[in-house]
Amino acid sequence: MTADTTAMPTDVVHVVAEPHEVAGLVVLALSADPTAAVHVMCLGVPDPATAQALTGCGAMSVVVLAAGAPVPSPGLDRPEDYVPAVAERLAGATPGLVLVPATVSGWEIAARLATRLGCGLVSEATSVRRLPDGGWCAERTLYAGAAVQGLEWHGRAVVSAAAGRGGPGALPPPDAGGAGSGGPVALETVVVDRDTRVRVTSRTSRERDAVDLSAASRVVCVGMGVQTLDDLALVEDLARALGAELACTRPVAEDRGWLPVDRYIGISGASVHPDLYVGVGVSGQVQHTVGIRDARTVVAINTDASAALMGQCDHGLVGDLRELVPLLAGAVRAAGVPS
Amino acid sequence: MPRAVVCYKWVPAENELRLDPVTRAVDTSSARWKVSDYDRNAIEAGRVLAAERGAELVALTFGDAGAKASQKDVLARGADRAVHVVSAAAGSADGHVTAHALAAQVRALGDVEVVLCGEGAADTYAHEVGPRVAEVLGWPVVTNVRELAVQGERLHAVRVVGGDLEAVECDLPAVVTVLAEVGPAPIPGLKAVIAAGRKPGEQVAVDALGLAPDALAPRTVVTRVTGYAAERSRVLLDAGEPAERVAALVSALTETGAL
Ligand SMILES: Cc1cc2nc3c(=O)[nH]c(=O)nc-3n(C[C@H](O)[C@H](O)[C@H](O)COP(=O)(O)OP(=O)(O)OC[C@H]3O[C@@H](n4cnc5c(N)ncnc54)[C@H](O)[C@@H]3O)c2cc1C
Repeated sequence: MTADTTAMPTDVVHVVAEPHEVAGLVVLALSADPTAAVHVMCLGVPDPATAQALTGCGAMSVVVLAAGAPVPSPGLDRPEDYVPAVAERLAGATPGLVLVPATVSGWEIAARLATRLGCGLVSEATSVRRLPDGGWCAERTLYAGAAVQGLEWHGRAVVSAAAGRGGPGALPPPDAGGAGSGGPVALETVVVDRDTRVRVTSRTSRERDAVDLSAASRVVCVGMGVQTLDDLALVEDLARALGAELACTRPVAEDRGWLPVDRYIGISGASVHPDLYVGVGVSGQVQHTVGIRDARTVVAINTDASAALMGQCDHGLVGDLRELVPLLAGAVRAAGVPS
Repeated sequence: MPRAVVCYKWVPAENELRLDPVTRAVDTSSARWKVSDYDRNAIEAGRVLAAERGAELVALTFGDAGAKASQKDVLARGADRAVHVVSAAAGSADGHVTAHALAAQVRALGDVEVVLCGEGAADTYAHEVGPRVAEVLGWPVVTNVRELAVQGERLHAVRVVGGDLEAVECDLPAVVTVLAEVGPAPIPGLKAVIAAGRKPGEQVAVDALGLAPDALAPRTVVTRVTGYAAERSRVLLDAGEPAERVAALVSALTETGAL
């Protein structure tokens, strides 16, 4: 999120986030407007190291909302359950932007807060700006990336901003000069009633992969056209020949579970910025291609010459991947391409 | 009879938008319209749930006169009844207005034990209306659901929350937003399409819902929609032997410095 707030009165920004998300959002608010008065509502009690960091995060105040009885078991707390407490406190606070992380929990929190406050919501804003008349305008992605929408409003609004996706909507890393003007503040802890209507019975981690696709210089992407594990092995071999990271489309990860979910590219996954992207059996729906816009060169391998990706690539190799992928891996090796 | 309601949005197909070559303004007039993708998964999840519960499945949308055309499709997908809350101003409605209109119609239906929504709409993908409807109704909401079951008066669901799968339960009535992974949405067969013609599709004027003017006043205004056009060279290698096509690709990539 970026902002341009030249010669505007000091803005009030309420950051509402889980302990580990706070610092990044405060940096975001302050980079948008260095003079903003940032107030934090932290959903849940931070561990000692995070608490220490929060005292110097640049906010003017940090209120920690701690769960009242019944205290949830460790790991079964939900940030969503603080919505009524947050809404109550915000209703009595100076109006301003309410900034929430664009995560699954954040989306719910943002929409519920906006409803309780009777105000607008800008979900996953990529920029927010003050208007000369005191109103606001923002931009966000529409049609899964096929378009950008400009919005305006007056008064209060809840804004969620995308975290960790790369690109203009991304949050800067928490250490990007967050120790703003305010100096250290004391954390104030308030015990609040939670919304206990939705109860967590268990939480399990999905298979994760510490891969950072956004840093890869070459990416080979597996689409649903890769139909068997033998075919997948061919594509993996091409990735090895190219020294590329293996990525996939959403259904390959979410439906087939062939690759960890961290490896899918698109509006709800990763954005990549490689020199070379090779899409194998990828149709090229906009929900996917929005994540490969910044690729310098896009290659498509597809049996269907009219697939959408063929119209959005630099080089379209038409044919069966089972035939073309091994040939390409061989040619890349024969050419002695540095990986 | 208890009711299950699925809220859906009627949207232009995002791959059929036209862009003005100069202003890049988006023109939806030649696009086909469709029931938003994840809402189809929601309808199928609702169909399964309603059958288990002996409930009536109502497919509910808020839209301008054009959205009437959606009713055939949602009825063919398994809704027992389709209700379209009509507003000429729906095109400029935001999540606040939409949620108030949908929630008011849910109240008007009565006996609703669950409201299902897609996790995000194909056009705005704001993840907004489901949780907003829940708040307006004063019901709990369970978002981003990939597994769903109801036992007695209790809903059990598995949410995808970042890297975690979160199993939750809550009491009915509740609002649930679903991911595509909750289950595939089959294309209706001919029999279902014919049967849809005999099912009721109703139009309700938004003014008949007794909403306060404030509930129908948008909080945000869309000022512009600008399209994105990919600038790529689009060289198709579709002729010659496979090995020749591959060789042509490798030399092109080497020439441009991509390899
Ligand atoms: C709200 C929303 C969010 C979404 N978010 C994402 C996202 O973040 N990321 C994402 O990827 N998707 C996302 N999707 C899904 C997206 O719309 C597409 O459904 C998905 O990207 C398609 O994946 P695919 O290209 O692998 O499969 P398909 O569309 O099934 O395409 C397979 C392709 O393989 C080709 N093929 C088949 N056999 C062969 C062969 N032997 N050799 C060569 N080619 C072959 C076919 O011609 C076809 O073009 C989202 C959808 C929605 C509605």
